[in-house]
Amino acid sequence: MSAKAADLGEAASRPVYGMIDIDHLSKRYQDILALDEVTLEIHPGEIFGLLGPNGAGKTTLIKILTGLARPTRGHVRINGFDVVRQPLEVKKLIGVSPQEINLDKELTAYENLLIYGKLHQVPDLQARIEELLALAELTQRADHPVRDFSGGMQRRLLMVRAIMSRPRVLFLDEPTVGLDPQVRRSLWDLITQFKASGLTVLLTTHYIEEAEILCDRVGILNRGRLIALDTPEALKARTGGYTVESLRNGRRHYAFFQDREEAQRCALSEAQGVTIRRVNLEDVFLRLTGESLGGKAEA
Amino acid sequence: MNWYPIFLREILIFERRLLRLGYVVSALLMPLLYLLAFGLGLGRQVSIGAGTYLDYLLPGLIAMSSMINSYTWVANGLTMGRLYFHTFQVYVQAPVSPAAIVWGEVASGVVRGLFSSVILLVLGFLIGSRLSLNLMFFLALGVNCLLFAALGVVVGMRAKSHEDTANFSNFFIMPMAFFSGTFFPIAKMPWALRVMVRCLPLTHTNDLLRSPDWNGGALASLGILVAYSAVSLVLAVFLVARYSE
Repeated sequence: MSAKAADLGEAASRPVYGMIDIDHLSKRYQDILALDEVTLEIHPGEIFGLLGPNGAGKTTLIKILTGLARPTRGHVRINGFDVVRQPLEVKKLIGVSPQEINLDKELTAYENLLIYGKLHQVPDLQARIEELLALAELTQRADHPVRDFSGGMQRRLLMVRAIMSRPRVLFLDEPTVGLDPQVRRSLWDLITQFKASGLTVLLTTHYIEEAEILCDRVGILNRGRLIALDTPEALKARTGGYTVESLRNGRRHYAFFQDREEAQRCALSEAQGVTIRRVNLEDVFLRLTGESLGGKAEA
Repeated sequence: MNWYPIFLREILIFERRLLRLGYVVSALLMPLLYLLAFGLGLGRQVSIGAGTYLDYLLPGLIAMSSMINSYTWVANGLTMGRLYFHTFQVYVQAPVSPAAIVWGEVASGVVRGLFSSVILLVLGFLIGSRLSLNLMFFLALGVNCLLFAALGVVVGMRAKSHEDTANFSNFFIMPMAFFSGTFFPIAKMPWALRVMVRCLPLTHTNDLLRSPDWNGGALASLGILVAYSAVSLVLAVFLVARYSE
């Protein structure tokens, strides 16, 4: 009786975890607070986008989630496992496509996948490698050294390598940085396929379009703080419907309006370089911080 | 312990570089230069103990070359992989233990060290040197490679730049190569220096490669090498385990 009651009590008091649970997470590097009390829950099966300018803390957050960096304060759990105390359990669940292309350039595409597969003890490795080479459209180039590949090919290889061990959670840190629009779109298709297979994806980007097209929810990081968290639509709706962008004394100015007529009235009063457009996630960031994702601007 | 993938990667990269023209020459150039310059040049006019200078020099060069090759590849590979190519991060993000990472790296360092030793051995025999090769010789050689590969992991994990590994090499590895009885017997050194040199691991490797006997002195030397290796391995695993960016 008492044992049963204790069991029930434990089950009742155990918190219900999301796929990724970030709880008051801070990371300090000497004088810089890279992450400041970030709390966030990412649901199973969603594509979650972390948006923010360079240096906002996106990569630091991914490093902590994937065991590359230790938090200064706070806790992180992936599928209920603590990343600091149960690192091996966590690493069995995750796949990472980092910002830097960290493939072995001297080795072939096949060898890169082979080593990664053995590291993660992937069953039926040969079949899995062939499957992934096909998915990355690299079957013909399997035995070529990666250094001869284009940027897009290297990114595709990096991304399929990340899903090799059939992870539950996939981390994509700036997956399309520096690629031309066509290649970027082909990678978006790949990410959409990942989502269809039930993967939870955490993606960092500073491309607005990428976040709007791919993500179910978006978190905006600025100077280590999570300053907004919602669906892209809800974030935009809160900012307004339309943006009037104008040029005054060589500087860009932005004004946000709920309806189009109001925006047009405002636009007519501006002297030069005026555009009216629908609010995007960049505007959300601008409204919240007074800065654009790429640098200073005035709202 | 899943160390094999780490070893496999290092060996595949090693193999690629071996196929590159000039690699073998550049990796082995220094010991070869010493062998030719000292062994055939100076050595013709010098004799140490009963044998020729070449017989004295060859085990020393093998010890030195195995040390440099085991150490340099591991230390440079880790430093570059950690700081510039970010390939080390793939290991850290994989479900493998710190000990597996260290063991994979060290095993690849041992292979590289032994590879250079074998080339020197063959060359030495071709130019007429005689060595007594027995189990103790290869045991000492293997432990020497293990020790310096483990030290390579320690330096590779601590280095903040490529220069750091080179500095450690210039201030520790190279002086040790010269003072541990590689080129001349330490018996003729001043007393204080001799005590210092006795503490250096390479001195014991040199002793063992020159007279690979199973007596008390040799076993003590082997014990010292094993102790140094154990400390280096533990330190290496500790540094990998607390790796944080």
